[in-house]
This record gives sequence, structure tokens and C-alpha cells, in this order.
Amino acid sequence: MTAPSDQPRATMSLSPATLQGLEARAAAVDESDVTATQADDVDLAITVRDLSAWYGARRVIRDVSMDIRANAITAIIGPSGSGKSTLLRCLDRMHEVVPGARSSGTVSYQGVDIYDPRIEPAAVRRTIGMVFQQPNPFPTMSIYDNVAAPARFNGLVKGKAAQDELVERCLRQAALWDEVKDKLGHGGTSLSGGQQQRLCIARTLALQPKVLLMDEPCSALDPIATLQVEELMSTLKADYTIIIVTHNMQQASRVSDVTAFFNMGEDRAGYLVESDATRTLFTNPKNQLTEDYVSGRFG
Amino acid sequence: MTQSAEVPEPPRLDLGGLRRRGWTGDLTFRAILSTLTLGITVVLGVMMVESFISASPVYQKFGIIGFITGSTWAPSFTVYGAWAFIYGTFLTSLIALVIAVPVSVLIALLLTELAPARLRAPLGIAVDLLAAVPSVVYGLWGLLVLVPAMRPLEQAIAGTLGRVVPFFGPPTPGSSYFAAGVILAVMIVPIVSAVTREVFASTPRLQREAVLALGGTRWDVARTVTLPIGRAGLLAAVVLGLGRAMGETIAVTMVIGNSDNIGKSIFSPGFTLASVIANEFNEATETLHPEALIALGTVLLVMSVLVNGAAIAIRNRFTGGSRSGF
Amino acid sequence: MASDAVVVFAPTSRWRRRKANLFAFLAAFAFVLALIPLVAVFGYIFVNGIHSLLSVDFLIQDPPADLSATGGGVRNALIGTLEMTGLASLIAVPIGLAVAIFAIEVGGGLARGARFLIDVLAGLPSIVVGIFVYASVVVTQGHFSGLAGSLALAIVMLPVVTVSAEEILRLTPRPIAEGARALGLARWRAVLSVFVPIGLSGIVTGILLGVSRAIGETAPLIFTSLGNNFFTLDINQPMQALPLLIYRNALNSGFATARDRAFGAALLLIIIVFGFNLVGRWLTARRRLAGSSR
Repeated sequence: MTAPSDQPRATMSLSPATLQGLEARAAAVDESDVTATQADDVDLAITVRDLSAWYGARRVIRDVSMDIRANAITAIIGPSGSGKSTLLRCLDRMHEVVPGARSSGTVSYQGVDIYDPRIEPAAVRRTIGMVFQQPNPFPTMSIYDNVAAPARFNGLVKGKAAQDELVERCLRQAALWDEVKDKLGHGGTSLSGGQQQRLCIARTLALQPKVLLMDEPCSALDPIATLQVEELMSTLKADYTIIIVTHNMQQASRVSDVTAFFNMGEDRAGYLVESDATRTLFTNPKNQLTEDYVSGRFG
Repeated sequence: MTQSAEVPEPPRLDLGGLRRRGWTGDLTFRAILSTLTLGITVVLGVMMVESFISASPVYQKFGIIGFITGSTWAPSFTVYGAWAFIYGTFLTSLIALVIAVPVSVLIALLLTELAPARLRAPLGIAVDLLAAVPSVVYGLWGLLVLVPAMRPLEQAIAGTLGRVVPFFGPPTPGSSYFAAGVILAVMIVPIVSAVTREVFASTPRLQREAVLALGGTRWDVARTVTLPIGRAGLLAAVVLGLGRAMGETIAVTMVIGNSDNIGKSIFSPGFTLASVIANEFNEATETLHPEALIALGTVLLVMSVLVNGAAIAIRNRFTGGSRSGF
Repeated sequence: MASDAVVVFAPTSRWRRRKANLFAFLAAFAFVLALIPLVAVFGYIFVNGIHSLLSVDFLIQDPPADLSATGGGVRNALIGTLEMTGLASLIAVPIGLAVAIFAIEVGGGLARGARFLIDVLAGLPSIVVGIFVYASVVVTQGHFSGLAGSLALAIVMLPVVTVSAEEILRLTPRPIAEGARALGLARWRAVLSVFVPIGLSGIVTGILLGVSRAIGETAPLIFTSLGNNFFTLDINQPMQALPLLIYRNALNSGFATARDRAFGAALLLIIIVFGFNLVGRWLTARRRLAGSSR
């Protein structure tokens, strides 16, 4: 908003992640990165290059390049309209589901471009799972069927026993098992908001994805449910790469390892201002805009 | 929505004369509106009552139940029973629904889930245009093209399945309940698919995206979200289609074969309520014959009010439910 | 790269993909199946009816008294259709709009009652409407007439006009509604000079769709205007209409002349009905486009 027009490019060059090419990543010895992470186990899950996205004629994100570390929680923060959700939706090809939506640039997962025409969107979404802002369990299905649904869509398990096992495992992982084990046949929408959201997380886990995208997963939840979901994320980190969009800076600082700050440019398209280790970004941001935002001066 | 009528009067700053004129204008306006609304309500009410009065001699002679369940229709003996036509109405409507509902549901899914966004509107208009073709034109085509074209099919079914099940048996003169059902199917596809389309289009986006984000295909979207969530609306669409099929007149009259008796096979000629009225009315010279036809009209009136009322009730419950549900 | 892609993103199993493809195929098939009658009817009527329509006599002459005789045209039916539909519109449009405005601006028991009746009417078979008018008007007057036919068509049009007008008027943005009132406009002025113009194209669409429905109706006319082999402008006389003429000639389609007359009249009728229908839709589509580009 207050950014000069050349701001985006300039700030992006400040982002160490952006400067790093694939070779640099392989070496993983960049000075600034050492401070941010333990350099030796830096393992990148997703690399985004020059990603832009449109709804119809309106560009909603512009030239985003960033790297996302595996088995870490990356938080995406920024004011509303900065394209955070759109970026997330571009990472599992959900953006293109909206009529008139399109994108350009590349998103690679383990070196494979997810927009490669030979790859089905459904296959991408199976590997990169998504949890939505609003809990959206299938209203006509039981709790059990909700969790079993992705396995059925994708033929992931064979037989009733294996399916039972998967449902229980995912509900346990989502810290919901004890609350629902006696009423698995009840409707998914009979649960409270926080339980519904954990049900949706369990459902996404049942996909057995490698990456979890979470689009403001706590915005519809009360503080206690929020805390439960945050704890859940920390335990899931060991097995999953997690990217969470949040408008709540406290949440970002509590749960994430890396934080990326997005802002809305003068052309009303969102862009990446900077991304860094969460502690660094919150205590010692390189960009004035970031500092203003994290200190609550705007947004 | 009706709140526009409850907007509090704004303070009026204009002068007395203008104010008075505005006020009398409003009164006049309101009086005109009320008169027209009341007038049309009364006129329509009177017309309905007149119809029942015209039919009353028949009801008096045979009794309401007797008239409805009577299976003999013999004007030359002054015997009138509606059952054969009620049967024909339901049979042809049922055939129409069996054909039209799956087709309409698939079209609705095509236009809400599958077709590229920018093709949806034009494809939808093409289906809507089916409803714009006048009934008599369908009848003309049905009589001269469809009926002869379907005869080999009817003969094939009657010759095989019909040997075992008399309901599908011969003879197959061409004009029949079945032919009427097929032409009705064509005519109700637009209404059933339009309502279904509206229902499917109101599927919450989040639900649809949940399936896709879980690696589901468009078919998974349809079977896990669109169809189950829309089932009440789908039912309303089916009932609405039934109401339309029951009352369709001219096209049916031209292909149903016109027989006062209950046909044993779906390939027999028969009559629906609407088609017997249309066919016999101008030659109704026997005693009580016109009155009996009007009585059939009142039966049809009651049936379609019931069916359409059911459709509206289902639809209201469906929209009410979706508002509170998600 | 391709093998990488397959390892990283395992494709959907062949069985599942087949199911999804079968579903898409069936949906497309259903669409084509439904459109076959539309294309077939239009093509058949066009091919068989065009040569009749191409002769001017067809439009300016009346049919022969004997259906099996050659020559003649459909002037009486064309004029009858236009006259009765026109009169029906003159009746149905003001009343339909009045009921819609009354339901929105005044409300209350009468409005609910009238709207309920109109909803009932919308689902009523048109033949039943014909019977209403027969039982109340034709019986009272003692004869069939173009006037009775117009009344029946007006009742057929009424729900289409009212329902669409009400829907459109309800969509008038609240700020505009309040703004108009805040200007001190009397309610009737606000309605007629602000709301109705805003919704005009939608209201006109409703009227045109109502007209296109009424023009194609046969069943209610059988009991009301009856049909007439001769040309008349007198609405107290029985009056011919295109659908009636098609119906009567089609029932005598053993005669090639009657069949040809039915085809020509059917093509004429389709052109008129589709004309009203498409113009109506075009108006609404144009409004939507204008709205979305804002």
C-alpha cells in the first residue's frame, strides 16, 4: 500500500530463499540460511518460481518465487488481499478449479513441475493435501465415512480391516479419536467446529499426502480449538511438510519455523515481501514493510 | 426482502402542496394495485368455482368416488368414469419420468460440473429452447415421425419381452401410452433439468472443492457431494416434471391413439385426462358429456394442485434447510 | 522427467479414470440425446414447411373451406394469433405487474393470497385454464369467441409475467431503494420512475417469455376461441389461431394438402415463438454482461 512501485523486486532480492537457485540449495551453505535453519538438513519440498495468478483479468499474485522446506512449518502472513490463499491454492492446483482462474510460472515438488501437462491435477492433490478455512466435512456422511472418503476416491486401501485401521490411525493423528470413537456412525456435521476442523485434518491425512496446505485453518475456531489444532501441527511436522496461511501473527510466531510475508502491491496484486526464519522475520526483518506489519503498524 | 415495504418514512422536507399530492398519489397507486390484485384473485376464484359448478351434475349422478373410480366411459349410455384416463395420465407421466429424469440429471451435472465454464450458458439455453417448441409442433412431429419410427422398437419388445409380460405385449399400432410417454419425456427434460441445474449449482463450493482437494474426480464430486446434497431439490424437480407431464395436452392427444378403454399393454392406445378432454370436447353432444369432460378437468386441476404443491413444499424445505445447514 | 513425474505423483488408477470418463461420456451423451428432438423437429418442420412459407399467398390468403383442397393460406390464423395474443398481453401485463408490485411494496394477506394463486396457476395445465374460461365466460356468453381465447391466453401469461417481474424487482439494490425514498419521492413515483426502469429489461424478458408461451398454446383455445375457417377481426366471433390450425390439419394429415398447410403454419409458429423467446433471453443476457463488466 505504501510501497514504492519498485519495491517488490527490490525486497525479493533480499530474500535469501529467493536468491538461492537449485544448485545453491544442493550446496546449502548460504550464510544467511545458516542463521535461519540448521543448514545440513535443509531439504526443500517445494520451489516456486515466478508464480503469478489471475481471476479473470485481475492479477491476484505477481511473480512469487520462494522455497519451502520439507518437514517444517512455513507460515504465510500478510494483510487481506495479499494473495496468501491464492498462493496456497496454486500449490495443489486448486486455483484452476475456479472458473476463469489461471496462473503462470512454475511450482515444483521434489524437482517435478506440478503443472507439467502429463500430470493429473488429482495426482498432485493426492500428494499435496489441503485443509480449508471453513471446516467442510461432507454433510451427508458419517464421521467414519468422511475419513474413509479420500481412500475410496483414490483406492488407497483394500478391504474393510485396512480401512478401519486407516480411519483410526488418522483420527488418532488428528487427536480426535478419543472424542469420536464411540460415535463413528454419527454425521460429520454433528461435531463442534473445532472437532469438525480436526475431522477435516484427519480426512486430509487419510489421503496419506506428503505436504499439508492449511488455509487459515483456525479462523472459524474458538481459542481452545485453535490451540488443539496448533499442537496438532507441531506433532505432524515430523512426517509432513506444512504450509499454513494465517492472518494471526501470534499463531505464525508460535507454530512456524519459516515465515513468508506477503503484501498487496499498488496494482492490487499480492507479492512476496520477504521470507525468513520465523524468529528472524519477527525480531529482525530486513524490510521496513515487514517491520511495520509485524509490529502492528498496518494491516 | 419484503422489508422494502417497511422502510420508515423519510422526513419530508418538501412543501405542503407537494406533500399532499405525493400522498394522494400514493393512495391512488395503492388503490389501483389493490383493485387489480383483488380483482384477479376474485376472477380466478370465481372461474374455479364455476368449473366445479359446471361439473356438479356429473358428480351428483355418479358420486365423487364413483366418478373417479369408474372404469367405464360410454357417452352414448350416459355412463362416465374417469379411471381409464387417470390411469393413462399416471402411466404416460411415469414413462416420461423414467426416461427424462436420468437424462435431465446427467445434463444438469454436465452443465454444473463438467462442461467448460464458458460453454455452460449457451448449452443451457439450447436445452431451454426445447421448452419453447409449442406442444402442437411436437405433436405434429410425433405423429408423422416419432410414432412410425418407434414401431419397430415396440414390435421388437412386444415380440420378446411381451410374450412373457402382457404389460409389454402386442398389439403395437404405434400410437400408444408409450409413444405419449416418449414425447412427454422430451417436453419435460427442460423443466426437470433446469430445476436440477439450479439445485446442483447451489452446492456449496467448499464441498465441491473438498472432494477435488482430496484427489477425487468429477464423478466423485457428483456422487459424494452434488447428488446427496441436492437430493431434496432433485425430488422437487421430479415432482415438478410429473406435474408438467400430467397436464400436457395437445402433443399427447396426437400420439396416444385415443381409446376410452384401459389398455393392457404400454403399447396400447389410450387416453390421458387432458387428451380425452381435448379430443372429445368439440364433439360432446351426448347427455352430460360436456359436463363429464369438465369434471375430468376438475380432477386434473386437483391432481396438479396437489402435485405442484408437493413440489413447492419440498423445494421450500430444501432451500430453508440449505440456509441453516451450511 | 516423465518417469519422475509418475513416481512423485502416482496417476489415478485406470479403473477410476475409466469411471470418471464414463460419467463424462454419459453426461455428454444425455445432452446430445435431449437435443436430438430439438434439431429433428426444427429440421423436419423447416424442410417440409419452407416451400409453403416462401409463397406470399400463404400469409395473405385464408385456407379453403375443405381441408383437402389445395391452395389458400393461413391469414385468418396468423391474424387471430396476433390479435388474441396482443389482447392477452394488454390484459396480463398490467395485472401481472400490479400483482408483482403489490406483493413487494404493500405485502400483507391479500398479496400472499394473490401470489399463492399465481403459483398455483403457474403449475396448472393450460387445458384446465381453458376449462375455467369455458365454464365462466363461454357458457355465460353462450358462444365461443376470440375474447374468451384472449382471456385464456392472458391467464396462461399471467404467472410468467408476475413471477419474473417480482424476482427482478426484489433484486433492486437496497441503497437505490432507500436513496429514492430519501429524495422524498412518493412511493408510487419511486416505483414507477426508479425501480421499474432499473428492472426494465428483466421485466420485458418476462413479458416476452410469457408471450412466446401463450402464442404456442393450443389446448386452452379449443374451449374458448374454438377456431374459425374464415377471417375475422371481431373478437366476439370464434377465432382461428396458428396452433389450432396446425392441430386440425395435422389430424387430417392423410391429405397431403392439409399436411403441407400444417407444416407451413408450424414453421411460421416456431419462427414467431423462437423470435420472442430469443429476443427475451438476449435482453437478459445483455443486462448480465453489462452488470459483470462494471
